[in-house]
Amino acid sequence: MNSGRIVALAAIVLLALEPTLAPYIRVDVTIVSAALLFAIAAMSANLLLGYTGLPPFGNAAFFGLGAYGCALSIKYLHVHFFTATVFGMLAALLGALVIAPFLVRRRGIYFGLLSIAFGQVFYFIAYRFTDVTGGEDGMAVTRPYLAVPSFTFKETAFYYLSLAVFVLSVLAFKAIVQSPFGRTLVAIRQNELRVRYLGLDSNRFVFVAILISALFAGLSGALSAMLYGFIAPLTSLDWHQSGDFVLATILGGSGTIWGPLIGSIIYVIGRDLISSITPYWQIFLGALFVACVLGFPRGILGTILARFGTAPLSNEPEEANWTQSPAIAADHHG
Amino acid sequence: MSGSAFNRRTFVKGAGAGAAALVVGVPAFIPRLGEAADALKIGVLEPYTGTYAFPGENETIGIQMAVDAWNKKGGVLGRQIEIIKEDEQSKPDVAAQKARKLVNQDKCVALIGTVSSGSSLSVQKASSDMGILFFASGGHTDDVTGKNCTWNTFRTCHSTWMEAHATAYTLAKKFGKRFYFITPDYAYGHALQTAFDDVIKQIGGTTAGTDLTPLGTTDFSSYLTKVTPAKPDVLVVLVQGDDYTNCMKQADSFGLLKKFPVGGPQVELEPLYGLAPEARTGVWGIEWSYSSDTCLGKGNKAAHQFVSDYYAHYLNTQKKPPTARQCFGYVSMDRMLAGMAAAKTTDSVKVARAIEGEKFQSIFADGGYYRKEDHQLMWPMWVAEIRPNGTPKDPNDLFNVVAKHDPDSIEQSVAEKAKICKMTYPS
Amino acid sequence: MLEHVGPQLFNGLVLGAFYAIVAIGLSLIMNLTGTINMAHGSFMTLAGYLAFTMIARGTNFWFAFLVAPLLAVLVAIIVERTLIRPLYGRDPVYSLLLTFGLSLIAEEVFHLVWGANTLPFTPPAVLSGTLALGFMNFPVYRLFIVLVLVLAFAALALFLYYTRFGLRLRAAVQDSEMIAALGTNTQMLYTINFGLGILLAGIAGVLAVGLLGLNMTTGNTLLMPAFVTVIIGGMGSLYGSLVAGVLIGIATSLMTLYVPAASEVIMYILMAVVLTIRPRGLFGEEGLFG
Repeated sequence: MNSGRIVALAAIVLLALEPTLAPYIRVDVTIVSAALLFAIAAMSANLLLGYTGLPPFGNAAFFGLGAYGCALSIKYLHVHFFTATVFGMLAALLGALVIAPFLVRRRGIYFGLLSIAFGQVFYFIAYRFTDVTGGEDGMAVTRPYLAVPSFTFKETAFYYLSLAVFVLSVLAFKAIVQSPFGRTLVAIRQNELRVRYLGLDSNRFVFVAILISALFAGLSGALSAMLYGFIAPLTSLDWHQSGDFVLATILGGSGTIWGPLIGSIIYVIGRDLISSITPYWQIFLGALFVACVLGFPRGILGTILARFGTAPLSNEPEEANWTQSPAIAADHHG
Repeated sequence: MSGSAFNRRTFVKGAGAGAAALVVGVPAFIPRLGEAADALKIGVLEPYTGTYAFPGENETIGIQMAVDAWNKKGGVLGRQIEIIKEDEQSKPDVAAQKARKLVNQDKCVALIGTVSSGSSLSVQKASSDMGILFFASGGHTDDVTGKNCTWNTFRTCHSTWMEAHATAYTLAKKFGKRFYFITPDYAYGHALQTAFDDVIKQIGGTTAGTDLTPLGTTDFSSYLTKVTPAKPDVLVVLVQGDDYTNCMKQADSFGLLKKFPVGGPQVELEPLYGLAPEARTGVWGIEWSYSSDTCLGKGNKAAHQFVSDYYAHYLNTQKKPPTARQCFGYVSMDRMLAGMAAAKTTDSVKVARAIEGEKFQSIFADGGYYRKEDHQLMWPMWVAEIRPNGTPKDPNDLFNVVAKHDPDSIEQSVAEKAKICKMTYPS
Repeated sequence: MLEHVGPQLFNGLVLGAFYAIVAIGLSLIMNLTGTINMAHGSFMTLAGYLAFTMIARGTNFWFAFLVAPLLAVLVAIIVERTLIRPLYGRDPVYSLLLTFGLSLIAEEVFHLVWGANTLPFTPPAVLSGTLALGFMNFPVYRLFIVLVLVLAFAALALFLYYTRFGLRLRAAVQDSEMIAALGTNTQMLYTINFGLGILLAGIAGVLAVGLLGLNMTTGNTLLMPAFVTVIIGGMGSLYGSLVAGVLIGIATSLMTLYVPAASEVIMYILMAVVLTIRPRGLFGEEGLFG
């Protein structure tokens, strides 16, 4: 585990030096901020997908609620930075409290589709109430002060803030998944029936997992709103955004702690770089999806860890082996 | 069986690794192609993917033509101009982030572009935060020169208010005062509807019905079947782009286009080319036409030069004549560069002051000027009848221009605008 | 108000028939192998483009209508064998992401080959015009869509219930391992099943471009309603997709009379209701997808 800590520390140091390196590697701070915030949302998807085994295709709804919660609180209540972020997270949490009772009773693809359905409803609400949310045109978000009136964020300052929030999020995430609660989630993913037989109410665990996931996604949404200075329903709430979070998670390695960061950096920065080079960048993006699913189902980090034999249980891509006899298969999953 | 599966997995893994490396590593080290050290860089933000890709590409052509023209004359301030293009994907957050990238990383001195209203507003905000000049060439929402107006942003295409007022009077005069509206149920549609209602009040017209079509409507049949019983004098279609194509196509299939006159505040050649000739009909507002002297100005050498330059360089690849989008791109870039030349600097504040209020002649009739109070380009707007098959000489020439409206007669007055737009320059 | 309901019901029926054709193809693919085909819309668009190109080169509409879907099936078979087969047995999330990636690639390939502009596509004269139905004038083309759906569904039912191959297909949905143990080449079964689903998509695609403009994003707009239809109808039931499609079509059309703003979101609300109360859908089978 020590080598893991060293690598993690090295990564953080490298990220901290990014603003100085930016002119040389031609990746400016705004896009790395975006990648870090994206990684927080990817972590929210990871909690549900990688650890609990549920497809989180509604997380864009929480992300969007975070963004709009933050933006609306700035517009109408003129709050400061931290309060705006908290408002965003609260909005996401409220949304989760509303839809989680419906979601907990389903698993698998039904879970995913139900979350898409709710997400689309939020999307239409944001679209419809043009006077409040700006509707299709979206709304501008002014970066509020950091409780110190004369200090508005410049890009670099915002970057360091994003980095700090990201590090805190990763630490929180680590604490959650390594706690008994987190381990129970993994157990649910592996064999929910057995968890129930052990006397635990799996639905309650899933419920809390959804709430925590919503908080992370809401945090990401609120900060992203302030980073871009502009939000719109299509990019904040639409289910394609959820798909992006899921892809980043799988690309980096679902079920691992640092996987979402790696996936997010590749996805966000890669997409930005390639779209600057060619208008046909979607071909490369699509090819990345295909290559990842076929060649790297464990994700980059997962594949590396598997090579060293330290891949976490929550990273297995659950392949069914068609040539095994039913008895062996039952034994493997039993 | 399992042997070949492993080989394939290894291959795909290698391919995947290669793809990932390509995605992240290599592009970072490739410098922007054709970068000259002393070039004056302008950032172009247009959609090159998604539903607005076609207008986005067309605007870019217009921008490039202006750049080529200026570079031939020696550039601006002794420097050659270079454009750096970014795909904003019609997504406001991407647009904002690319805007920042163009300015902070690529050192662009000004920004130009956008088609969708959301992107226009988003780039307006980002550029205003950065204090950088931005020409919104193709976003029509009133707010850009209305409640969101900023000192650094200039808008070239007509506002929704102008579009509605240019056409409503003509439609009423030609067909009658009873209107049926098919309106997209979002900000742009509401703005158009409000503007139309303003005219209806003034002429004493009536609304036979209004259908607000929500986002995502691809099938307009439910709304079209309501038109016949309402017996309007004219069917007014406010939807745009792909929705326009779908709506008109379906209206034709219901036989509505033969029963009722149809018209609207704005139509572009791009969606019209997507319709079969039977569905190309009606009286619409247009923002420019390459073939009509009413649009180009009689004897306007610059306009005719523009069209023939386009034919020389772009007709082979584009296969279609220039549209209003090329015009927006060209005029925006041309005036931006002229402003820099006049102010003898690229400093955004000085250039903005040099541009506003300055009358100029360009590739359209009568000339125009960017109004000082809100930075809206005040130029004429035209009304055209659609020729389904063009002319015998040119089957693409679909616009038969029937009227021209002066900008002052169709846009809100300075006094009215002053209530909405409060523009301040940085001290 | 009543004179308005009639036309809207009719509109809804036709719209629903269209959703049903797309949904049935999607359902076929999902039922057998658990593959969630996010590229279904892309195959529809492909068939539309191919039909357009054929007609532009001089063939008549009917020939294009028959051949374009078959060409799309050819592409589908190659895709299934190389890209989708490795995913059988895995979590459906993977097939979802992979086919989503394919849809991105497809969109840009369409952009490259046919350009970004919308292409004009007219149905032939015999299908144009309207039929006077008393309470409304109805486009002949839309009636044609209903006719095609009825024929397609009948053909599919005949195939599934009256041929040996159809029998094997139905058996494979119930229990793949058993039928493999009994000697059937299940891999080929999966390929043909996928091709069948895409054939329906291709037919729907050529029909669609008579209603909508043809460009690189056309198929994508129909994908989500198709998924919703499959869910409401119930996974595992083709009949369910048919009924659900019509239901959604009518609900959407009627909504435009009473609460137009909700007409596009009503299908998601219905889906949420169904998933909450009866997740297997109206006619679905218990146990499929957990």
